[in-house]
Amino acid sequence: MTRIADTTTSAPAENSNGARPRRNTRPYRALEPGRPARIGRGVLLFLAAIVTLFPFYAMVVLALKPVGPIILPDSLVPWGLSLEAFERVMGARTLLRWTFNTLIYSVVSVVGVLFFSSLAGYAFAKKRFPGKEVMFWSFIAMLMVPYHITIVPVFILISNAGGVNTHWGMILPTLANAQAVFLMRQFIKSLPDELFEAATVDGCSEWRMYVSIVVPLIKPILATLGVFVFLWHWNDFLWPLIVGQSNDMRTLTTGLASMNAENVPLNVVLAGSVVAFVPIFMAYLVGQRYFKEGVTMSGIKG
Amino acid sequence: MSVGTLVSTRRRPSWREARIALLFVLPCLVLFVLFRFGPTLAGGVLAFTDYTIGADTSFVGLENLRRLSEDPLFWRALRTTLTIAVLAVPLSIGISLGMALLVRRAFRGHRLFRSIFFLPVITSLVLAGIVFSWIFSSGGPWSSIMGWLGLPDQAWLSDTTLVIPAIVIVAVWGRFGFGMLILLARLQDVPRELEEAALADGANAWQRFRYIVLPELYPALFFLVVIETTFTFQIFDTVYVMTSGGPANSSYVLVFQLYDQAFRYFDFGYASAIGLALFVMTFIVAMIQRMTIGRER
Repeated sequence: MTRIADTTTSAPAENSNGARPRRNTRPYRALEPGRPARIGRGVLLFLAAIVTLFPFYAMVVLALKPVGPIILPDSLVPWGLSLEAFERVMGARTLLRWTFNTLIYSVVSVVGVLFFSSLAGYAFAKKRFPGKEVMFWSFIAMLMVPYHITIVPVFILISNAGGVNTHWGMILPTLANAQAVFLMRQFIKSLPDELFEAATVDGCSEWRMYVSIVVPLIKPILATLGVFVFLWHWNDFLWPLIVGQSNDMRTLTTGLASMNAENVPLNVVLAGSVVAFVPIFMAYLVGQRYFKEGVTMSGIKG
Repeated sequence: MSVGTLVSTRRRPSWREARIALLFVLPCLVLFVLFRFGPTLAGGVLAFTDYTIGADTSFVGLENLRRLSEDPLFWRALRTTLTIAVLAVPLSIGISLGMALLVRRAFRGHRLFRSIFFLPVITSLVLAGIVFSWIFSSGGPWSSIMGWLGLPDQAWLSDTTLVIPAIVIVAVWGRFGFGMLILLARLQDVPRELEEAALADGANAWQRFRYIVLPELYPALFFLVVIETTFTFQIFDTVYVMTSGGPANSSYVLVFQLYDQAFRYFDFGYASAIGLALFVMTFIVAMIQRMTIGRER
């Protein structure tokens, strides 16, 4: 829905540099704000943008300052920069380990969630089998159960299975993703049956059909959902905090929180924060559409 | 291909199709039984036991709920959580609405502004918490601004009252971009002809908003109220990083108490009772939404 929003409204702005396409704007030009209103809007938006961006600016500038006490306003001016904080945070080596853990946690989970939910979503959307409705709706009912309520039993289970401080123990429980199953099923249901029937007639095996027909057809939802699941895992905090307790098994979020709680200078913690933030930011610059779609579609903060 | 094979391939699947479909659903089913259905049930059952690490477990009936009802810390956490929700939800949705209206029409840079306002939504709350603990620290930017404005310039996170608005500010900063996007999508559906007609009839901007745009947004606003309320009920990351529930338990929220009971005191039964309370709260909000939306239609 956001994609529609973007394309419909951005068309006139695209070619507004030179001649304004008067033909298009005229019918609703009366609704366009007048000059004072436009200036007011510009000022408000500019102020809001500064407030929104200030924490990011502070994070980057303070990370690039020599390690030491932070004094305003000198510490916020973008000169006298140094890479000392980055050297210290990278030198500790643990940050690399945390980045690695975060990558494993995010990437493996994305692959797992997409694979399992597309298999199940396909079956729920296009197959007939006994207990289908009951099963599907009991999956969906799990959307109502907040993640914090199951966290204690899941931890007991994982800890009894020896999964504390392991990658698999961290990843496995997050693969049961009700939202992913729901969105997959909805998307595949909207595809015409003929696409699948033709392949059945051709005598295509079910597995081949999944690989060569279903997967190519669901690429858009795979991308959107993949970005969302990645973001969610990259930023996840409570579960990695509980299950990855040793310093070696921390993710970037839990690691940085622990650094922040210890007596590490703020510049160094913020340098680590920049390292954790940059990959997401880069991805956001490239694939904004997927982020916006993924987050609005699922309705949950990443 | 003959009609015969076509018909037979269409009819045959009934049990073969079911078998294959079940095979496709199986991995998800196993995962859900282990990590969602099972734990949801177990969470409910645990709330009535004294389960802890390295000790025998027995059913204690309503003991945990009785303890909960007599635990001043629980009531305090509940009050703090609700206060945060009452402050953060309207503020966040109000700002979402304002921003959505401001970036609604195309102008140079409107897409840049949308992207900027959405950036906090994809940012880890832990990173936000780290930066904001500095922003709210004594001698930090926030206290400097307060000083310039002639207000007391103490560190908000160390003040038992001001810590709540500080957490609310971070929550709103991190969330308003989400509501803005949801509302923007709805704003596109407002028929332009209606607005133009109202304009031609001499309706001013406020009247056009109040009687044409706003009614169109009600469903989305309801949706946002529920989702933002649920979200603030589960606030944890920022509290953990910025205050650890302090000072003097004044920012101690429900999920923080759940975490403390389970993973600091290993009182899993009691933690599950807190989880149950959270579940009931979330459920009530969802039910209220159902009822109000039902009435609307």
